[in-house]
Amino acid sequence: MVYIIPVIGIIVGIVAGIKSPYIFPQVYSSYVAVGILACIDSVLGGIKGMTEKNFNIGIFISGFFGNALIAVAMIFIGEKLNIDMSLAAVVVYGSRLFQNFAQIRRFILNKSEKKDNI
Amino acid sequence: MKNYKYAVIPMTAVCVVLGAIIGIQFKTVKNQPKVVDIQRVSELTTELKSVSDEKDALYERLMESQNKVREYEEAQSDVSEAVKLLNDELEKTRMLAGMVGMKGRGVIVTMNDSSGNKNPNVDQNAYLVHAEDILSVLNELNVAGAEAVEINGQRIVSTSAVRCAGSVVNVNGVRIASPFKITAIGDPNTLESALNMSGGVVDSLAPWGIEISIKKSDNVKVSGYNGSIQYNEATVDKE
Repeated sequence: MVYIIPVIGIIVGIVAGIKSPYIFPQVYSSYVAVGILACIDSVLGGIKGMTEKNFNIGIFISGFFGNALIAVAMIFIGEKLNIDMSLAAVVVYGSRLFQNFAQIRRFILNKSEKKDNI
Repeated sequence: MKNYKYAVIPMTAVCVVLGAIIGIQFKTVKNQPKVVDIQRVSELTTELKSVSDEKDALYERLMESQNKVREYEEAQSDVSEAVKLLNDELEKTRMLAGMVGMKGRGVIVTMNDSSGNKNPNVDQNAYLVHAEDILSVLNELNVAGAEAVEINGQRIVSTSAVRCAGSVVNVNGVRIASPFKITAIGDPNTLESALNMSGGVVDSLAPWGIEISIKKSDNVKVSGYNGSIQYNEATVDKE
């Protein structure tokens, strides 16, 4: 049941974001998009860590901000070199997202099937 | 199980932040103006080209027709005295309206963008010739009694407008670019001193390095207005 709290958190965040008067400048739109992807990746990574019981708050927080920063820096460099680096970020984070989700899925299904395990 | 509970708090905090970013980004994307796709651009380019070709063709036809009208008028003027008088009157009216080319003494004012300042940190806009600068020269020439004025071949008539259109200037609906050559017929000395007077137009443009040269000439030519003036709303007030 504790899983519900982060989900509520994300919903509250989205509502707050939509209701807030702030808007990102258009120029930074692609940066923010990849930053979001990196953040989703680290959140799923954190959930995976919780399922494997090796969740480390330091790794989680540094991953959250570090991934976002690296993604943004990569796009920035890509823009200077005239390469669409956002593709790299999208592919890497996208595939990791699926992997993490697959592991979480296995964990939850296993948990419900063999209750005595946990 | 200790691990598990303690992870929920940072997880929730991060989720709230992530949600807020997603929310704001969502709104940003929604507000984004629709990007014109490449296909539409090329479509519009083709359309623009065909329309401007059409315009050129129509312009040629207009010129032809005007020449034909002239020919008819001249042919008729031999026939009778009344027609000749009427033609003279017509020619005078055309002159007043600025529909015919004229020549005489006058000045040629050339305005060029400043070439001095290439510092990228300075707003380059200030060093270009703007429609306002042209208008102030035009105004000064008219004050000094210019009888006929043209800018890069565009005759200034009663309906003429001079306005900025991006990096070029629109005169009579025709785009013209720097260097701007303003030809005016009138007393050359008066015209020149009107522009050159202290605190006048040339003085006010000098700090920006805009190159403006005034050449007096005994024989300048000003072309006639080649568009058409149509009155859709205005009628003659006979009172």
